[in-house]
Amino acid sequence: MQSTINRAPAMRRGRLFSAVLPTLIAAGLIVGSWQLSVSNGDPLALSLLLGAAFGVLLQRSRFCFFCVTRDFLDHRDARGLLGILAALAVGTLGYHLIFGLFVPDPAGGRLPPDAHIGPVSWVLALAAFAFGSGMALSGSCISAHLYRLGEGAIGSVAALGGVLIGFGLGFATWNTLYLAGIDQAPVIWLPGLAGYGGSMLIQLGGLGLLAGLLMRWHRPADGAQAVGPEGFRARLLGQRWPTYVGGLLIGALAVMAYLRVAPLGVTAELGSLARTGGNGLGLLPDRLQGLDGFSGCATAVKNALLSENGAFITGLILASLASALAAGDFRLQRVTAGKSAGNLAGGVLMGWGAMTALGCTVGTLLSGIMAAAVSGWVFALFCLLGLWLTWMIRID
Amino acid sequence: MIFATTTRRIAGAIALALFTGLASANTNTDALVTTDWLADNLDRDDLTVIEVSVDPGKFERGHIPGAVNFRWHTDLVDTVRRDIVDRASFQTLLRDAGISGDDEIVLYGDTNNWFAAWGAWVFDIYGIDNVRLLDGGRDKWEAESRPLSLRPASPSQGDIQVGEADESIRAFLPEVVEVASGEAADTQLVDIRSAAEYEGRIIAPDGVNELSVRAGHIPGAVNVGWGNAVNADGTFKSADELRAIYAQAGVDGSKPVITYCRIGERSSHTWFALSKILGYDVKNYDGSWTEYGNSVGVPVTNLAGTVWGGQ
Repeated sequence: MQSTINRAPAMRRGRLFSAVLPTLIAAGLIVGSWQLSVSNGDPLALSLLLGAAFGVLLQRSRFCFFCVTRDFLDHRDARGLLGILAALAVGTLGYHLIFGLFVPDPAGGRLPPDAHIGPVSWVLALAAFAFGSGMALSGSCISAHLYRLGEGAIGSVAALGGVLIGFGLGFATWNTLYLAGIDQAPVIWLPGLAGYGGSMLIQLGGLGLLAGLLMRWHRPADGAQAVGPEGFRARLLGQRWPTYVGGLLIGALAVMAYLRVAPLGVTAELGSLARTGGNGLGLLPDRLQGLDGFSGCATAVKNALLSENGAFITGLILASLASALAAGDFRLQRVTAGKSAGNLAGGVLMGWGAMTALGCTVGTLLSGIMAAAVSGWVFALFCLLGLWLTWMIRID
Repeated sequence: MIFATTTRRIAGAIALALFTGLASANTNTDALVTTDWLADNLDRDDLTVIEVSVDPGKFERGHIPGAVNFRWHTDLVDTVRRDIVDRASFQTLLRDAGISGDDEIVLYGDTNNWFAAWGAWVFDIYGIDNVRLLDGGRDKWEAESRPLSLRPASPSQGDIQVGEADESIRAFLPEVVEVASGEAADTQLVDIRSAAEYEGRIIAPDGVNELSVRAGHIPGAVNVGWGNAVNADGTFKSADELRAIYAQAGVDGSKPVITYCRIGERSSHTWFALSKILGYDVKNYDGSWTEYGNSVGVPVTNLAGTVWGGQ
């Protein structure tokens, strides 16, 4: 009897967190997007909703580039990496479908508008390496830090603070690097070289090859296969979704986002904040050479309180919070000085890398490879290399 | 059913004729088409609709069904020299868009038809007739929730012949300097930039890359911002209203006019209003302030006294 009396308020509190708060957040996002569509037009409202969908997918399927790579490096568990390949394959198909509309003649020398196709240079390789290294140091890439904020990972605040500092450093070094290696670098778009059919063949062939290798190297977890939960709610919220489910849906979301607003990316708003802040303090060069000429998560000085990418990030974090609360994944993380230092240092490297590479694992890797940009593949390769080497050094 | 459709068509035609009659009382419909008219005429084979927008990606994410895309910064200019597109390239562009001899052309674009008006000016230089602007541009079409299409048009090759450039509607620096020096006092200059730019308080609006090393305006120019020519929905004001607005600044069509802005594109909008709607004798100065304000030895009026590089 006694225990029942004590449990009642706890259950009520539990329901408040797992049902009432997520419902309120979801309602807030819907009302917010409706408000935005009335006051600012559809792209901003859509950005908020697409960001929210991205947040839920990242949170539910633990779509974290670092975690899935670590799973593979430590345990030869390739399922997470295969999930990323699934996203890239779906995205590749969808992007090429859209490209056929946007640029009917791929050999005509024009690039599809807004697609994240960047210059391929040693600067990109260096930036991707730094980014991968920063991921290993801080335990997540930028998008994962954002969704983890919603899971109560306070330590991610230090990492994101580091990212802002890193962006500032990126702006400070941009002009030098631009003339040293970026301005003459080729911007290579596979359909421009091989047509849409050839490009899809190269992309899907490459992804298929990687998937084949990963499946070969994959070592299934020891012990019997865990019994899956029963019932829709348990499958939806009781356990994480397999990464490939998140991957397939993220691939589709990326295509929708590109069609209606812009390619997926999570750093443009962070970069804008850093650039506006740095400009305000007089720390940054007045002119960032050639930056406006590239597509990617390029950053402008803020001239509106809420940009499309700002709405996207806001939706991402809030929806991840709602999803984490509903699934019982919300835990306020304890922060230690050592961990914060690692987060901050990793954040700085990621910020510098993301600014210099015109995007992060989402903007340059996902949106770039889906767009059949060689820059996306180069980023993926060197990011993985940076992550792996840093992870090895850290363990040893 | 057929009868009903026919009746509707006749009623529509009468309504259109009435509307056209009414509209021609205050606007010259040789220059503009309404969104209603365009929606009713989209299926015509002898009509080509062309979007000239400032923002890349806008056309691709949805355009007026059947429209083709002209990119102002590559298709309508010479990308190496500072000049408009040359005759041969322009002819290829038009033929690829499926335009033949007597076809009608409707231009529209974002940001109040700025670049669509610039396009209309280029068409005029090359002597292409039958060119009109969609009144209110893309914004009005969207505001009225009219359909947009993602599908690219696939026009068959046209056979239009583009003539030599007639530059009588284009002003160059020497002519402008003559006006500024009082040697061609007969011509009036209209500066359509913001008051702050005109007065020399700022050199250019925030965020633009093309700048000048002097602030102010061309001596003798009057300042009538381009926005004075449009209603809240982006449509041009009536001819009577336009006449009154410019007359207030002393521009009444009795003398030749030269319009300019910063790079020559917003001034095309005013060029269009004065020349195509009011029928005045107007040239557009596409060199505009980025040429004039960078030129050595030309007279400048700088009301604010702003010094380039600081006092």
